[in-house]
Amino acid sequence: MLRVENLSKEFRNSRGRQRNVVKAVSNLSFQCQPGEIYGLLGPNGAGKTTTLRCLSTLIKPTSGNVWIDQYNVLEHGQIFRSKIGFLTSDMKLDGYFTPDYMMNWFGQLNKMEDCRIEQQKEKLFNDLQMTDFIHKKIDQLSTGMKQKTAVAISLIHDPEVIIFDEPTSGLDVITSKAVTDFLVSRADSGKIVIISTHNMTIAEKLCHRFGILVDGELKEEGTLSDIIEGSSWDNLEDVFFSYILPGGNHV
Amino acid sequence: MFKDSLIILRKELRRIFTDRRLLFMLVVLPLVMLPLMYSFMGRANKARMVEINSYSSRITICSGEGGEEVRGWFFESLSALNAHVETAGTYELDSLKQRVIDKDLEVLVVMPDSMDDHIRAGSAFDLSIFYNSTGDYSKFAFDQVDIAFAAVGEAIIRQRIMESGMSEDVLTAFTINKQLAAGEFADLAEEGSMMGKLIGVMLPFFIVIYLFANSMKVGLDSVAGEKERGTLAMLLVNQVSRLSIVLGKMISVMVAAIVGAVSSAIGLRIASRYLISMTSDSGASISEYTMGSTAVLQFAIVVIPLAILISSLVLLVSTFARNVKEGQGMIMPVYIAVMVMGVTTMQTGDIPPEWMRMTPIFNSLVVLKDIFMQDAVWGNIVFSLATSLVVSAVLIFITLRMFNDERVLFRI
Repeated sequence: MLRVENLSKEFRNSRGRQRNVVKAVSNLSFQCQPGEIYGLLGPNGAGKTTTLRCLSTLIKPTSGNVWIDQYNVLEHGQIFRSKIGFLTSDMKLDGYFTPDYMMNWFGQLNKMEDCRIEQQKEKLFNDLQMTDFIHKKIDQLSTGMKQKTAVAISLIHDPEVIIFDEPTSGLDVITSKAVTDFLVSRADSGKIVIISTHNMTIAEKLCHRFGILVDGELKEEGTLSDIIEGSSWDNLEDVFFSYILPGGNHV
Repeated sequence: MFKDSLIILRKELRRIFTDRRLLFMLVVLPLVMLPLMYSFMGRANKARMVEINSYSSRITICSGEGGEEVRGWFFESLSALNAHVETAGTYELDSLKQRVIDKDLEVLVVMPDSMDDHIRAGSAFDLSIFYNSTGDYSKFAFDQVDIAFAAVGEAIIRQRIMESGMSEDVLTAFTINKQLAAGEFADLAEEGSMMGKLIGVMLPFFIVIYLFANSMKVGLDSVAGEKERGTLAMLLVNQVSRLSIVLGKMISVMVAAIVGAVSSAIGLRIASRYLISMTSDSGASISEYTMGSTAVLQFAIVVIPLAILISSLVLLVSTFARNVKEGQGMIMPVYIAVMVMGVTTMQTGDIPPEWMRMTPIFNSLVVLKDIFMQDAVWGNIVFSLATSLVVSAVLIFITLRMFNDERVLFRI
């Protein structure tokens, strides 16, 4: 189980003599069970990426903590990293290498045995339908193929928790479906999947539970029916807009 | 930790040594550029000298009244030159000077009135020689005229001495013995050290330039490039420590830097034959120059820590920069400073000032020069090694701090 407890993150900005503190995330708490896909929704600047970076050990929370079973992000960074697979939306893999080489390399970085790397490669290449292009240089691949490669690399060590920041951003519908189907299959096999997205249609179809994050605060949290029942709207998109548009949703 | 660094290093080296374009820039370019450059410069220099020597200079002599006899001596002294000599009246002086400025005339000689009377009276007179130093032909013709007229002056003095009843031997206080015994040489420089001096002046400059240039080519992309591509985050969420990442990347930058430096050293060795032809009066010979095993060891002791220092510096900038472009902007002033150090070392005399021996990078360059000139002192070598390593350790420490600082890594 993954547990986020009162997570807060502040950044100190200094411009000239002025110093100000920006609260990117405030007192965020939620938890995810194995087999669950959790969608973190919010507009740009809401704190989604910061939250995911805290979850993936890239940045330290100002206060609060994140737990995977008995391990927390502050004290057990290395163990924590072995349990997560992290993918950012803006990543461009080095085009000079092949997907096969990069998988081997990331496997070694995760201290995996060669035979285990081979097993994982075979499984991921098949699941993501990558076998046709694993020996081509990444430069020669299409955007969709590159995204599949990035997904496969981030999961080479078969992590318990999958954290993807905007996993379908910029993808065509076919690749987008391949990636979301893959995430569903991972959740079905008992993994925890946490994604951030702007795409409400994908979120509704994919996620079991949602958190709506606005200005660093969790405004709503729960299943689709929990969120809709607690509001005067009949779909997730309208609920979402009611929080981010001034004076509520008047679309 | 070192096993993890090795994983990082292997990938970085694979990137460097299997990319043909990068390999060409790192290895082939330094190797062929210096021979090509010196070959071109040597040929161009030689062709220019042949052209200047074969050029018939235009010389005009403006002389006043009463100097026919002496003018005849000067004319005669110029007859041996490849020159077209004309006479003109002093009223044309301004237009003739303008012709020199316009490079339409190489040399203008202005002689005073009554030169013959001066000679008879044994007094001195003033000659003016105008030329244009921005013109190669004019400068060359001026030098030739100067030598020819100096010979005339010497002959006049000799004549005066003899007329006063003295022996012309009084003009010679001593002679320098140029007729040495067989096998004896006036220049007692050790065999090969003349070539070493030529190489020693040039090579440290090229070594530091290629160490830096190659470090930049590989090092800036190493971290700043990963930030730009967004792959650094993926690297950091793995099981390797940040120290392993820094070390792996630094060693790969260092290898690229050393490859470039060695390549430029080989290039300069090949280029030396052209260098000798350009400085043909140096008496140096390429076949005379060999580096003994001690010199090679000293070279390695100085160059490897220097490569570590420069790689650490580039990696620090690469870590701090948001992207490669910003990194290039940040490193450029440092690169220029290092180039200035290289040029200063080229112009330093045999005993460099103490501050130069105390300054990192500078002291390595000075010691490298000493090694090539076969004049190195172990104390200086050890000192340069120590300063390079200490500064590198400080730079690596700062880089590591940056690697643990989310404000630097993600520039929030």
